Amino acid sequence: MGLAAAYWIMAVVAVLAALGVVFLRNVFRAALSLVLCFITVAGLYITLSADFLAAVQILVYVGAISVLIILAVMMTREVQQGSPANRLKIPAFIVAAVVLGIMIYTVTATSWQVASAAPLAPTTVPLAGKLFSESGFILPVEIAAMLILAAILGAIVIAREK
Amino acid sequence: MNLALLIPEITLAVFAVLVILLDLGVRQKTVLRSVALAGLVIAGGVTAAMWGGSYPAQFSNMLAVDHFALFFKLLFAGIAFLVILASADYVDKFARFQGEYYALILLSTLGMMLMAATADLISLYIALELTSISLYVLVGFLKDRKSTEASLKYLLLGAIASAVLLYGMALIFGYTGQTQLGAIARAIQSMPPSAVMDSPALLMGIVMLIAGFGFKIAAVPFQMWVPDVYEGAPTPVTAYLSVGSKAAGFAIILRVFFSAFGMPDWLSANWGAIFAVLAVISMIVGNVAAIPQANIKRLLGYSSIAQAGYLMVGLATFGFAPASSVLGQSGILFFLASYALTNLGAFIAVIAISNKIGSDEIADFAGMFKRAPVLALALTFCLVSLIGMPPAAGFMAKFYIFSAAAQNGLLWLVVIAAINSVISAYYYLRVVKVMWSGEAASGEKVPSSGAPRLALFICCLGVLLLGVIPGLVMRLAEVAGRLFAF
Amino acid sequence: MLANYGLIGLFFIIVALFSLSMPIIPIVLRYLKIVPSHPGPVKNSTFECGVETIGKTWVQFNFHYYFYALVFLAIDVLVVFLYPWAVQLRQLGLFSFFAVLVLVFIVVIGYVYAWKKKVLEWK
Repeated sequence: MGLAAAYWIMAVVAVLAALGVVFLRNVFRAALSLVLCFITVAGLYITLSADFLAAVQILVYVGAISVLIILAVMMTREVQQGSPANRLKIPAFIVAAVVLGIMIYTVTATSWQVASAAPLAPTTVPLAGKLFSESGFILPVEIAAMLILAAILGAIVIAREK
Repeated sequence: MNLALLIPEITLAVFAVLVILLDLGVRQKTVLRSVALAGLVIAGGVTAAMWGGSYPAQFSNMLAVDHFALFFKLLFAGIAFLVILASADYVDKFARFQGEYYALILLSTLGMMLMAATADLISLYIALELTSISLYVLVGFLKDRKSTEASLKYLLLGAIASAVLLYGMALIFGYTGQTQLGAIARAIQSMPPSAVMDSPALLMGIVMLIAGFGFKIAAVPFQMWVPDVYEGAPTPVTAYLSVGSKAAGFAIILRVFFSAFGMPDWLSANWGAIFAVLAVISMIVGNVAAIPQANIKRLLGYSSIAQAGYLMVGLATFGFAPASSVLGQSGILFFLASYALTNLGAFIAVIAISNKIGSDEIADFAGMFKRAPVLALALTFCLVSLIGMPPAAGFMAKFYIFSAAAQNGLLWLVVIAAINSVISAYYYLRVVKVMWSGEAASGEKVPSSGAPRLALFICCLGVLLLGVIPGLVMRLAEVAGRLFAF
Repeated sequence: MLANYGLIGLFFIIVALFSLSMPIIPIVLRYLKIVPSHPGPVKNSTFECGVETIGKTWVQFNFHYYFYALVFLAIDVLVVFLYPWAVQLRQLGLFSFFAVLVLVFIVVIGYVYAWKKKVLEWK
């Protein structure tokens, strides 16, 4: 009962925050609304018993990425003018509504297989086993390291002066 | 776990790091180019040496080291080698960033090699992101307005495509409970057909995968980024995008759709039909939109959309008859190899000419046969190969793909493709006409140093050889076409 | 375990109620005319430690902050991978130790690159 109430509150707030990102005129308030969306998504992860993932979400998304986004907003010069005018608002809204309808139909009309075991309670230990043991996902972890290297390299190349 | 099987990828990673570290210390930048080329030669050499053996899957079935992967690794190493050679004169425009340029090309080649070899959705996605991020940065390398705008457009559209792709992967994982491609195939085959057709999750997942991959290969509803990005990026990066990124996209489509969704025949007929429709609209839109273009890079961009359409004819064949049509798969691989050499040859000639005259407009190419006869001849030959006329490689490539399609009941597709080839002849030959019969603006020769000339020679020789004696590469493609089935 | 997070959620709800009630209670009391309300020009001006504001309040930030945030983000993602490994350090054994060593080494190369290219210096 408490779980369902928490889920519904956080789901509604997440969707409203996401709509706020798109519809708010002031760019800074849209960025803050995005931060609220990240926090509520972390809460949704907790209702799914993914506690490590919720902590990672807050650490990385709210802690680092939101800071980068807000820094980028503060560094633009004419941010007071708000977003530029958009003539395709109505067609985009219609397309988004159609895609939403298709997604809802896909998710509700499928008979999903449900795992019989209960979710593991602190997930950090099994996650460590899955990521770093020999029969686990060690290859994507190493490729992710190369990805981080490429990202640092690329971002510094883009941001340095000519 | 046998790390010796991963030596090509490890070599590329080590050399990319070496280029970065040397860039911090070394004064003269041509050393970096030699280091990068050495890394690619070693990786390609080890890959070629591994050909002929049979190796088990690595990393708990996440990495497949079969001939399909070896073929593509060799192709990507060769493409990167030619692109680095061709950009020898161009890198002077990146004043202090040459080390990063070579390192990013090596990193994106590493990502492409991993994409061709991977057999798991998660490592596929990460390798795809590695390639894409390196390419986003490479597109924006010249810091002027056009290049930055091109990079921004590529980044935004690429991020949306990655998001759609990941959502499709999540739906497939949620439905089958597996991320490894062979396990997905087994899970699908163990379900009754009615269960699969009634639940839209798997089908929606496949559609979203096609959308995400279709962005990479510039298929038509997902092609909006191509003209602007090709025009704004530095021309060697455009060449690399048009050839390497497209080949990598087709490699992952072949791998994922064969390993995971190939077996229930009605399922593969479904996505074969999707690819047939996408092929038709890609060919028509690419060819028709290329006719009024005045910028050579945009023209080659639209032409690459059309070439993706021809390749998707092979994918449609593959979907309708996967078991018997080794010809369909090997036709795609042969087309990719010949398209790589052809497009690179065309772009190398364009790099050299544009570097001299300082513009990318076709009208400024007038009278090139007097100023740069070798470059004009090479560009003509490559454009003839893109049309698909003998004795160039494009003819044999289109012949293989179209005959495989006709043999498997897709004659209507072949007819549409043939009509489109005729339409494409118009805009390719228009460039040739401008070069050979126009008035030159000035009489100066177009200089080019040794490295681009070597690359151009290799490309033209390759196009000629593949057109006249296709047998060797075709046999390699047939061996590579039998994918690892697990 | 979920009950522990439920307590955190309860904490957030109490925080939200408290922060909302702080401005709302005086507004409601003023509306109900229980407290006196005499607004004036001096009372309505912005309080900034008694000093008038100088220039615009929305100034453009120095872009050097961006590089610090960027390097922090890359190393933060690395730390995210290290957390579960550190929890299971003893059971995971030697193989995972070398894998993590490779992981850390690759990201440190990126950090050394950023360091040597002088992006972390403040000009």
